Amino acid sequence: MENSTPLTEAIFYILLALRNPNHGYGIIQEISEMTDGRVVLGPGTLYGAINSMVSKGWIHLYSEEKESRKKKEYLITERGIEVFNQEVKRLSELLENSKRMGR
Amino acid sequence: MKKVRFYLDKDEEQVWIQEMANKGWALKSFCLGVYTFEPCEAGEYIYQIDLLDNWNGDKRNFADFMSEMDVEVVSQWYRWVFLRKRAENGPFEMYTDIESKIEQYKRIKGFLTAGLVIELICFLQELNVAIKLREFEIWAATALIGMLVLGLLRVVWKCQWKIKQLKQEG
Repeated sequence: MENSTPLTEAIFYILLALRNPNHGYGIIQEISEMTDGRVVLGPGTLYGAINSMVSKGWIHLYSEEKESRKKKEYLITERGIEVFNQEVKRLSELLENSKRMGR
Repeated sequence: MKKVRFYLDKDEEQVWIQEMANKGWALKSFCLGVYTFEPCEAGEYIYQIDLLDNWNGDKRNFADFMSEMDVEVVSQWYRWVFLRKRAENGPFEMYTDIESKIEQYKRIKGFLTAGLVIELICFLQELNVAIKLREFEIWAATALIGMLVLGLLRVVWKCQWKIKQLKQEG
């Protein structure tokens, strides 16, 4: 796997929000709830992140409404789960080391 | 109401459009330097300007995605888009983290640099003709293109400066 970590905070949370199929506005809301309103993604930030992760194969288009609003739902891929887990491993190491030596 | 303005710097342009909206004039469309406004309630809208990723791209896709967040694509000119959201629907900032802000300025810088190169070539050709023919009109045109080159240079430099600032923050 290419060097894909560390992930940006936005990418990390979007991957986390896509463990179940979710659409644009839903992703923003879920992340905002998870972080108590600390991380509220701007629409441009989310749009760019989704496109870049689709092209990397970390997430894929899950379903698309055909009616007026054409809501698109996305879902994390196997590849995305791998990247996410790798990042969690890296973060845990940071945390453990800081606990062990940080005081 | 129509107004004619010439902006190379989207940040300055955005400030002006927002000032107009705060005074009760909502941007309705833009084409070739002509801005068309219609009356709105003062402060009804928050405006943002963005540069899309590619030329032909997925304009529909972008507009659909934005409408899901209550964001309306007001006007589009080439890759440039004018976006707005009703202030009552909450704050509106297209890019909220340093990474995506840097990406936006890189996109804009790339776009303007291409324009700068083209204008510079035009300028040199025009200058060459002006020196040969020594006619006032051609000198005037040369000066005009020269000013455009300088203007573009300033904004490209400003983008670079912003990118550097953002990287230091991050």
